Amino acid sequence: MKFIGLVFKSARRSKRRTLLTVISVALAVFLFATLRSVLDGFDAVSAASSSTRIVTIRSTSMIFPMPTSHAEAIRSTPGIRDVTWANWFGGIYKDPKNFFGQFAIEPESYLRMYPEVILSPEDKKAFLEDRTGCIVGDGLAKKYAWKVGDRIVIQPGIPNYGSQDYPFTIRGIYKAGSSAIDNQSMLFHWKYVDERSDVKGQVGWYVAEVANPDQAAQVAMAIDQKFANSPYETKTDTEQQFSASFASMLGNLNLLLGSVALAVVLSTLFVAGNTMAMSVRERTTEIAVMRTLGFPASTVFLLVVGEGLAVSVIGGALGALLARLVINGEFLGLAGGFIPAFGVTNWNVVVGLGLSVLIGLLAALIPATMASRLKIVDALRRVA
Amino acid sequence: MALIELRDVTKSYKRDAIEIPVLERVSITVDAGDFLGLMGPSGSGKSTLLNLLAGIDRPSRGTVRIGDTEISSLSERALAAWRARHIGFIFQLYNLIPVLTAFENVELPLLLTSLSKKQRRDHVMTALGIVGLGDREKHYPRQLSGGQEQRVAIARAIVTDPTLLLADEPTGDLDAKSAGEVLTLLQRLNQEFKKTIVMVTHDPHAAERATHLLHLEKGTLVEQVGSRA
Repeated sequence: MKFIGLVFKSARRSKRRTLLTVISVALAVFLFATLRSVLDGFDAVSAASSSTRIVTIRSTSMIFPMPTSHAEAIRSTPGIRDVTWANWFGGIYKDPKNFFGQFAIEPESYLRMYPEVILSPEDKKAFLEDRTGCIVGDGLAKKYAWKVGDRIVIQPGIPNYGSQDYPFTIRGIYKAGSSAIDNQSMLFHWKYVDERSDVKGQVGWYVAEVANPDQAAQVAMAIDQKFANSPYETKTDTEQQFSASFASMLGNLNLLLGSVALAVVLSTLFVAGNTMAMSVRERTTEIAVMRTLGFPASTVFLLVVGEGLAVSVIGGALGALLARLVINGEFLGLAGGFIPAFGVTNWNVVVGLGLSVLIGLLAALIPATMASRLKIVDALRRVA
Repeated sequence: MALIELRDVTKSYKRDAIEIPVLERVSITVDAGDFLGLMGPSGSGKSTLLNLLAGIDRPSRGTVRIGDTEISSLSERALAAWRARHIGFIFQLYNLIPVLTAFENVELPLLLTSLSKKQRRDHVMTALGIVGLGDREKHYPRQLSGGQEQRVAIARAIVTDPTLLLADEPTGDLDAKSAGEVLTLLQRLNQEFKKTIVMVTHDPHAAERATHLLHLEKGTLVEQVGSRA
């Protein structure tokens, strides 16, 4: 403990250089925690995905719709217990910047198959009874200060849905019961959209519930075989695979974000290492004096490592704290409905801090070794 | 009673493949309480001899005994602990740590001891009081004159109450007045506090303060100038 003052005094020797190093570590940890939270968001969806739900989309791409007649064909497939469907609406609330997921759903079956959409019985009843009603996630409601009974207007963003505005009445505010559900989305009646669409009877994707999760793969294959060689061939996956394939539309996120994070961390490591090396080199005589006073090589080593750690951990703490405060689902609203809004978690903060400790240790390792192995006489002679 | 005993000490350095002799079979005995002045031209081996006494360098051959300890055979770690306990070193260029106050500079060697914070403070203030800088404890080196810096360095050297004080040209960077004050202080430490001092100097005025003088030339002891005690 008595050496801590010495460590901090040494770190403050060149305030500008120390400040720049602190900032570079803070930025690296901020970026790392943010990127990590994005990957965690995708992982959370996969982990929370239901093992009994399978998702059917057009084999070409999920942007192409299928006819409603597929519903009965899917329902009649052996092993299927329930079926629902949904469409991506892609509308605009006041301004295109106000982006959030809007889904036209078949409400009864959808709410039945997604118990994670937690809604009070009264709100649920009100929603089911109102063709122009909608329900919104509590995160979205908070963002726009919406409450039950509010009327909102959404402009259609996809030409198929016509050109007229869609007025809605908020009939309920749901909570997300798991990471598989986004609390930043808006759900409304598929029929309401369908009756105003230019092309009727179009479905974006079907969700079916299998009786036995162990047979999900076989059931999915059976569904796709039903539509093979038809104008609307399908591709059916488990919900987990569906989430993963949606994520893969953005590329290999793990590799991409991981590479960016690694590059940032490595470059910060080199910056911090260079700073420490410069700092130690400038203090060659002082270190020699301390050794002359009787400081053992091990203590000198620990003092330099302590300095590296202090600078790095302060930077890391700032970066992690900033990420925790700034990067949250409400701030970003990036989810768009397929992925729950992600945010920097306490765990991301802990990992970020751990990373700053690692940067501090590695950056100080070579300078500390140099300092501890310094030949006192040679170092004193350099100046004398 | 002999405090320092050097026996046939030879020191040479290797520069590339060439061996450069610095000290040749030097034998010295210094009694406890002596104030020894080491004189000689540049390159004569004075500082090397001082470094060997301080345990920051090792002889190529021969033995260095300080008190009961044969320091030339100690490990690096043991030597560091021995230095902390027995040696106070005064440098020509003071070598204070610029980011530490006078108090913190003097406290530095005490951080290696098991003294409490209060005990350390008492020791530091006593040492600063001896060198006449008790009122400068919060000053940084840049806020002190050269003479004051050297006095802080002396306080740092004596704060652990070491067995031996070693001074390498302690007045070499000072004006005449400050040099006189520093030498008076060293003399006082020798006479009043019975500190054994070995001082390297070029300056004949500084050498006059020593009780004994040794002259080195080309690595060998050329004459015993004699006792001034």
